[in-house]
Amino acid sequence: MKTRLPLYFLLLSALNLALVLAGIAQALWPSWKNYQRGYYRLAAQGESNAAAKESVRRTSLTVQQVVLTGLHRVDRCTTCHLGVDDPTLNKAPQPYAYHPDIQQHPPEKFGCTICHGGQGLATQLPDAHGYVENWNQPLLPKEYITASCGKCHTRGDVPRAPEIAEGRGLYERHGCRGCHKLDGVGISIGPDLGREGDIRADPLWLSRHFRNPQAVSPGSAMPAFNLTPREIRSLIVFMLSMTDEEMASYYTGRSLVLSVAAGRQLFAENNCMTCHGIGGIGGKKGPDLFDVAQRHSSEWLDQLLLNPQFNDPDSTMPGYDMDINERAALVRFMTSATAADAEKILAGRPSNLSPEDSAIEAGKANFVYYGCVGCHGDGGKGGIPNPNTQGGQIPSLIHVASDYMKPEVASIIQKGKIPPVADPKRPAPPLYMPAWKGIMSEEGIQNIIEYLWSLQPKEEATGW
Amino acid sequence: MIKEIYRSVFRGDPVSTDKGKTELVFYNLWLHIHPAKVRKEHLKLHHTWYLGFIAFYLLVILCVTGVALMFYYHPHTTVAYKDMKDLTYVVFLGQFLRNMHRWAAHGMIIVVFLHLCRVFFTASYKTPRQFNWVIGVFLFLLTMGLSFTGYLLPWDQLAYWAITVGTNIASYVPIVGSEVRLLLLGGHIIGDQALLRFYVLHVLLLPGLLIALTMVHLWRVHKDGGLSRPLWKLDGGADATREIAMPAGQEKTYGLMQIITGKPIFEMLTPAEEADTVFSYPYAFYREGVAFLLTMASVMAISLFWNAPLEALANPAKTPNPAKAPWYFLGLQEVVSYSAIIGGVIVPALLVMALLAIPYIDRNPSRRLKDRRLIITAFTLLVIANIVLIIIGTYFRGEGWSWVWPWMDRAGGGH
Repeated sequence: MKTRLPLYFLLLSALNLALVLAGIAQALWPSWKNYQRGYYRLAAQGESNAAAKESVRRTSLTVQQVVLTGLHRVDRCTTCHLGVDDPTLNKAPQPYAYHPDIQQHPPEKFGCTICHGGQGLATQLPDAHGYVENWNQPLLPKEYITASCGKCHTRGDVPRAPEIAEGRGLYERHGCRGCHKLDGVGISIGPDLGREGDIRADPLWLSRHFRNPQAVSPGSAMPAFNLTPREIRSLIVFMLSMTDEEMASYYTGRSLVLSVAAGRQLFAENNCMTCHGIGGIGGKKGPDLFDVAQRHSSEWLDQLLLNPQFNDPDSTMPGYDMDINERAALVRFMTSATAADAEKILAGRPSNLSPEDSAIEAGKANFVYYGCVGCHGDGGKGGIPNPNTQGGQIPSLIHVASDYMKPEVASIIQKGKIPPVADPKRPAPPLYMPAWKGIMSEEGIQNIIEYLWSLQPKEEATGW
Repeated sequence: MIKEIYRSVFRGDPVSTDKGKTELVFYNLWLHIHPAKVRKEHLKLHHTWYLGFIAFYLLVILCVTGVALMFYYHPHTTVAYKDMKDLTYVVFLGQFLRNMHRWAAHGMIIVVFLHLCRVFFTASYKTPRQFNWVIGVFLFLLTMGLSFTGYLLPWDQLAYWAITVGTNIASYVPIVGSEVRLLLLGGHIIGDQALLRFYVLHVLLLPGLLIALTMVHLWRVHKDGGLSRPLWKLDGGADATREIAMPAGQEKTYGLMQIITGKPIFEMLTPAEEADTVFSYPYAFYREGVAFLLTMASVMAISLFWNAPLEALANPAKTPNPAKAPWYFLGLQEVVSYSAIIGGVIVPALLVMALLAIPYIDRNPSRRLKDRRLIITAFTLLVIANIVLIIIGTYFRGEGWSWVWPWMDRAGGGH
């Protein structure tokens, strides 16, 4: 004991020292330093003289990060992806490759992960790419990356991401709102889709789901819509864009992508041509708008749209409830508007309708917007399966006019209806008619009834 | 000059002499908790297993790494989790220190518990050490309290739901239960207030109490005759009885020498026993050093290869199924799954009271195993039951607290 003890002691001390050094070594040589060395070797090749090469190669290695307070994130991706904003590296291998078109969304304003997903705080693989347990936002596959455009650009067309607008259109046309809430409007038979991009971040799952909902969600009441592969892709992109990222107004303020096309649409929707003409085509009450952008500054035009009487106290033009993006898009359209545009807009306007017909048109629009079409089918022809109801599917609405009185239908729409059950021993039918009172206006319901009555085939109605 | 400075710091004689060895202990604030000479049997591994020392060293590691981690941690729900990520990915040695802190914390619970078992099985809680056992039980509870409060700080799913379950167990206590939970969380949900309270408890209040009680614990070991002595040296009797120098009387005043109870080891020992002692320096110190180095090396080695868990950001809307309490409470949670009132109130209350009362209930003066069959059996059964329940709770409980075999792949996800 007397002689051996100090030897143990020394050996153990050495072991401890070794472990401390191992810990330090682990901390001292993280994998990102290798990537940075590789990058500076690559960058040194581009230098002309030996001294410059040497100085580039000896650049000190540090973690690079973009602190994005407005997006509540810190992105350290550029610690390894050092070449993203260097166009000369457009052929370089990853992780050094140049990011094409990065100027539109500069990394210092947007970082990387808001579009690409992944774990911005991490500085090693696979953590940074998010393919780890406990990080539910892995890198978004390239073919679905446009979904991220929809996080900020929530309205109108998104240039180079037509899938977003298309998916949104599909959502409206197929009556998804009849079962799924979105932006607070809709019915809760199915889950709210407001955060679907977070909850279902897996494109593969979504793809299988849209083809056959029961395949991935057994027992789901959702019918299989007959969608083309292109439509399925658009819906996936649209769903992946539905996240609830917290963003500063700098980002959310870009909801509408400013474009001439968006401006033209707003110009048409707000019926500007009732008073204004362009190049002699259109209304005559207000001034002609051809070359209005040359006559006035864009600030003046913006102010005019916000409050016309501020610019000209005698103006009879009403103020429009448009946000800054919409006003800017309109002004942008003004800079290029020609008589040809005016003719196109006029051609697209619906001809004057009788009050009856306009009620039917409004009812038809409601039928689609509120998602009746999702269950009752396009044009009310029914046919969506609803197990364990009498008939096994949702009935057609084409003959409603001959089977019901209008107040009866109004009452069903307002209060909803549980479908008659075929076999009480089996599970209740998954789909039911929700109560629309408080969601749809009285007038909206009346319009839908007018629309349903219009569906009655004419030759059968002759008996009335 | 240098020699002069050295002499001013280390004022004893050189440690090559017996006088120097004694002075090294006596003149040093940190070492004088030791006697100058110790019995050889105190140094033997297979009586104490050095568990008390190891627990103390783990506490030292936890304090040092804990203070280091405090430099990088904000107790606020918006940044706490990000601070964890920073420790993991960019803070120099951050991951290593956090690993050490985490694994040493788990280790300390195990070691303190083993220490408690050792003291029980060797009957070292008997006269005059009854109250030190009580202090020890409080130290054990404080250790669990520290682990529990530390559990919340990373603010990940694991933290959030373990504390949710843990504080829910506390709320089963009748009348005061929900008030205690309210006081602990600073509200009805686990949010910023709860995080701040747990933080203050974890870095200030509980460590302060733990350190203060540890000091008392060690001091009393010293005052009660040093480390517990193995049975084979004692012929079955108590290892040291508190000597009273003079019987107390109303009419008398006492001089200091009459109050001092423990005699210096030299005077207490017969010459035969004297031969059985060694100087604390170097024998005791080297052995303690070895225990420390082994503890340190184990914690560092584990920390090099296994990272402390960090799950997804805490999300009150996303309940993991099953939500589990910290592992050392899983035995209780298992009982709670049958009956909230039994698992949440009766069992823990009885266990703590029984632990505290052991030295006062057990009046049997013998320390021999064969004289203590009943109490040893009862204690062993309790320990085994708790361990079995913890293992069941950890490995055999799945969704909805239903029984699953650990080798069965649990299907995840799906809503």
